[in-house]
Amino acid sequence: MAAAAAFREGIRRVNHAPVVVAGMFAVTLLVSLPLAYALETMIADHLGASLAAESLATGTNYDWWQEFSAQATGLGTTFLATISGFAAVLNNLSGLLDHAPLAATIIGVTAAWMVLWSFLSGGVIDRFARARRTRSHGFFGACGMHFWRLLRLAAIAWIVYAILFQFVHRWILSDTYSWLTRDLTAERTGFAVRLAGYAIFGALLIACNIVFDYARIRIVVEDRRSAIAAVLAGARFVRRHAAGVLGLYGLNAVAFLVLLVVYALVAPGAPRSGVSMWAALVLGELYIVGRHYLKLLFYASETAFFQGALAHAAYTAAPVPVWPDSPAAEMIANADRTVTS
Amino acid sequence: MFGRSTALVALLIASGAAINVAPQAPSSAAAVTAPAVAPRSPRNASYAITARLDPASRTISGNEIVTWRNTSNIAADALRFHLYYNAWRNTASTWMRERRLSGRTPEQEYEPSNWGWIDVTNIRVIGVDGSAGDLTSQLRFIAPDDGNTADRTVAEVPLTRAIGPGETVNVQIAWSAHVPRTFARTGAVGNFFFIAQWFPKIGVLENSGWNCHQFHVSTEFFADFGIYDVRLTVPRGWIVGATGVERDRRDEADGTTTHHYYQEDVHDFAWTTSPDLVERRATFEHPSLPRADLRLLLQKEHVGQAERHFEAARAALKYYGEWFGPYPYGHLTIVDPAWQSAADGMEYPTLITAGTSWLQPSHTEDPEDVTVHEAGHQFWYGIVATNEFENAWMDEGINTFATARVMQERFAPTYTLKRYFGGFIPYRLLDFPRTRERDGDRLGNYRTGAKGDAQSTPSWQYWPGTAGSITYDKTALWLHTLERMLGWDVLQRILSTYFMRFQFKHPKPQDFFDVAGEVSGRDLTWFFDQVYRSSNVFDYGVETLRSETDSVEGFVDKSPPGTTPRVELKQVLYRTQVVVRRYGEGIFPVDVRVVFENKEEVRWHWDGRDRWKMFEVEKPVRAAFAQVDPDRVLLLDVRYTNNSFTLEPQSARAARKWSLAWLIWLQDHLLTYGFFV
Repeated sequence: MAAAAAFREGIRRVNHAPVVVAGMFAVTLLVSLPLAYALETMIADHLGASLAAESLATGTNYDWWQEFSAQATGLGTTFLATISGFAAVLNNLSGLLDHAPLAATIIGVTAAWMVLWSFLSGGVIDRFARARRTRSHGFFGACGMHFWRLLRLAAIAWIVYAILFQFVHRWILSDTYSWLTRDLTAERTGFAVRLAGYAIFGALLIACNIVFDYARIRIVVEDRRSAIAAVLAGARFVRRHAAGVLGLYGLNAVAFLVLLVVYALVAPGAPRSGVSMWAALVLGELYIVGRHYLKLLFYASETAFFQGALAHAAYTAAPVPVWPDSPAAEMIANADRTVTS
Repeated sequence: MFGRSTALVALLIASGAAINVAPQAPSSAAAVTAPAVAPRSPRNASYAITARLDPASRTISGNEIVTWRNTSNIAADALRFHLYYNAWRNTASTWMRERRLSGRTPEQEYEPSNWGWIDVTNIRVIGVDGSAGDLTSQLRFIAPDDGNTADRTVAEVPLTRAIGPGETVNVQIAWSAHVPRTFARTGAVGNFFFIAQWFPKIGVLENSGWNCHQFHVSTEFFADFGIYDVRLTVPRGWIVGATGVERDRRDEADGTTTHHYYQEDVHDFAWTTSPDLVERRATFEHPSLPRADLRLLLQKEHVGQAERHFEAARAALKYYGEWFGPYPYGHLTIVDPAWQSAADGMEYPTLITAGTSWLQPSHTEDPEDVTVHEAGHQFWYGIVATNEFENAWMDEGINTFATARVMQERFAPTYTLKRYFGGFIPYRLLDFPRTRERDGDRLGNYRTGAKGDAQSTPSWQYWPGTAGSITYDKTALWLHTLERMLGWDVLQRILSTYFMRFQFKHPKPQDFFDVAGEVSGRDLTWFFDQVYRSSNVFDYGVETLRSETDSVEGFVDKSPPGTTPRVELKQVLYRTQVVVRRYGEGIFPVDVRVVFENKEEVRWHWDGRDRWKMFEVEKPVRAAFAQVDPDRVLLLDVRYTNNSFTLEPQSARAARKWSLAWLIWLQDHLLTYGFFV
């Protein structure tokens, strides 16, 4: 299957699984809401009965913001002027690429969300691999069945990513970059060097990411138990289908960039009050839904590509797991064979 | 007196009073050229300098004749010189030690080629008869501030004959220096050289003795006025910008060019050179202020921003000229330093460094703010030459205040700018306009270091980590507070009187305070006691506001004892009680205001001395909110959020709105990290 065809097939599969999109969005929302509530309490406590709240409720109040930041700890330190509108996106992307430190609370919630996502990704990939409804018991059955395998895979992946960010990132974008630009006096040239650094690091990151993506897919689709073997199998698959894999990754990346551009154009700035506040929230959440859609499109299109590239085109995942009855039901069913003493 | 010294130098040249200097140095420093205009300043520390830069080895070979006149009322039996470049000689210098205290230790400090130093190779006092007494062997390093024997930023040389009050001495010094990777905005990166604090510079003799401090990390400089006549030899084709104006230029046989710069009535000389600078010129013209030629030396990648630099410089000369006094020099050179040169945002007489980025959206802070600020230093530092070692607030603080005012007048609105992806990609936060009170006066910075030091502490003794906020931000805030307290008309007259009275002089803090009292007609001692002589922090707030119907329970009228007390409601009145509190140590008189639901308001004036005070009023209407310092006169109040109290708080609404905005940020963050799963 060509990359473009896999991409189209991925779109089709995601479009046919709106519940999955909605469910994953809901999971992210539910993970985020408690923290948002905690922050809301912090802000409200700091404002108290101050009139500053009025300007903050209808617009912005940077004076207050600076005052809040000066005393903020933990979660409060993440409440910066860059959290609204497209600045939030730039903030996060730049923070990741530049390996900016995160607040401990954010590290915690991010780790929890990633574990949860790893759990759900088994059901998600299984759903996309079957290209049919799996119902909740099938979905969560797949989640449970693949969870520990995917978690082991995630552990391997995170170790590799940690090495990349702790050592390779520092070597490319700090040590080498500083060395190369040491005596440069033109910022443009410095930026070009930085871009080259991003490109090299990004290539390494994407290479690992692709291998882990296909390892994840192979764990689910081929019902693999060994995460290490899945990584090796994923690497083999990527090597044998490099052009298609990269083409598909590129299409997904372009889709992501398109979403970013669209959001950059329509993203509201700091929210106002009343209807415009809710409109900003809806627009922001639509963007978040879009991010989920594209994340799932990655899974779906890569799964479709993997399935299409295998020798047996109709290859699908293992059959729907049939769960045994409860021990009580089993005992009743086998009552006639039960020997009592 | 000056004429005598000029004649003496001319005599020296004529008599061939050359000394042996470093091999590449000229045989003699040139004479100070005859002054062009009547002296504006005492001109008691003049320099004739010849210097040659070897870019490959990053060395400067220099030779200077210092013509120094003793303007104090005590005799000088020794001379003291600043050797600033030695601050970067090794990690044991006072500058380096203080830098480590502040937590800043860039790795560049420890690469061999990055160090800087200056070595005096010969020093002679030249007698009236032209004889030269070699004092090189008697030169010694001293550390008057901290006794650090490893510090070599101040040198002293004893004199065989004391220089009495009013007498003049000529000292010839040969030296060589290694230009560091930029420290304190002087140094080199690639082919860009910005050379400041680079020559042996005589201290200031006051009636109390030498004022010649070691180089400290959080302070700048102090020197007497004079004439600078400087010849700089650099590779041919390299652009040179320097204090003063270029009088002539001569190509040398060895492929170099000597640029001759000259400036009167200044107290420092800095220069830049690079083959990569682009030159632009413009003028400043004003109906009632002197014309000034503007010369801009900028980076190729910033050519499109040339007019922004000129506009900012014009704005500074216009507003500072109108508010404080005219800029007298007739020319100003603006240097746009190279990327990574770390030479941006610095002032020298008639020469400043600005600073911008390749991608720099309009209506943001730079390059306008930095250009206005550094051009403004021509007034506060250049002309009113305060002691930056001891009273850095007098130039930096006053100038920060004035910069914010110019920015508001000329360039508002400007917006907060954030940079991403290694700092290269700018993003303008249009919902967060910069305001004079906040970003101009920099309340946020001050808040974090408010208790760092009393401002009256000599600046070089400030804690390095908070010196900036006490010097720049606190002063700007208290000046702006003074403006709101006295009115701009009064403050403007204070500043202009102070400027005109002390231009080309070295005023001290009390001079400023005296002018403030004199012009305002008020005793402001209490104010300066608070903001200058203490580190007290101001924080007034409304503790509580109650506004309830006022009923009377108990025996009223003539109800006899023993009968059941009756409740009498004379009329529906709201008793409004507001309790205001002084949370900080700082004392400042403030207004207290209560606004009622029908928009009526009541104001009280509180001297702000007690820890708390309750104000009461009865009205037939309920209060809506109360404020302390409602007009925000006291800009030093570090917590303005608690200055108001409303009976219908909107905090829940505001908190919900912003937590929802943050929610989207968090979700986006999670999905960004979703890359890994």
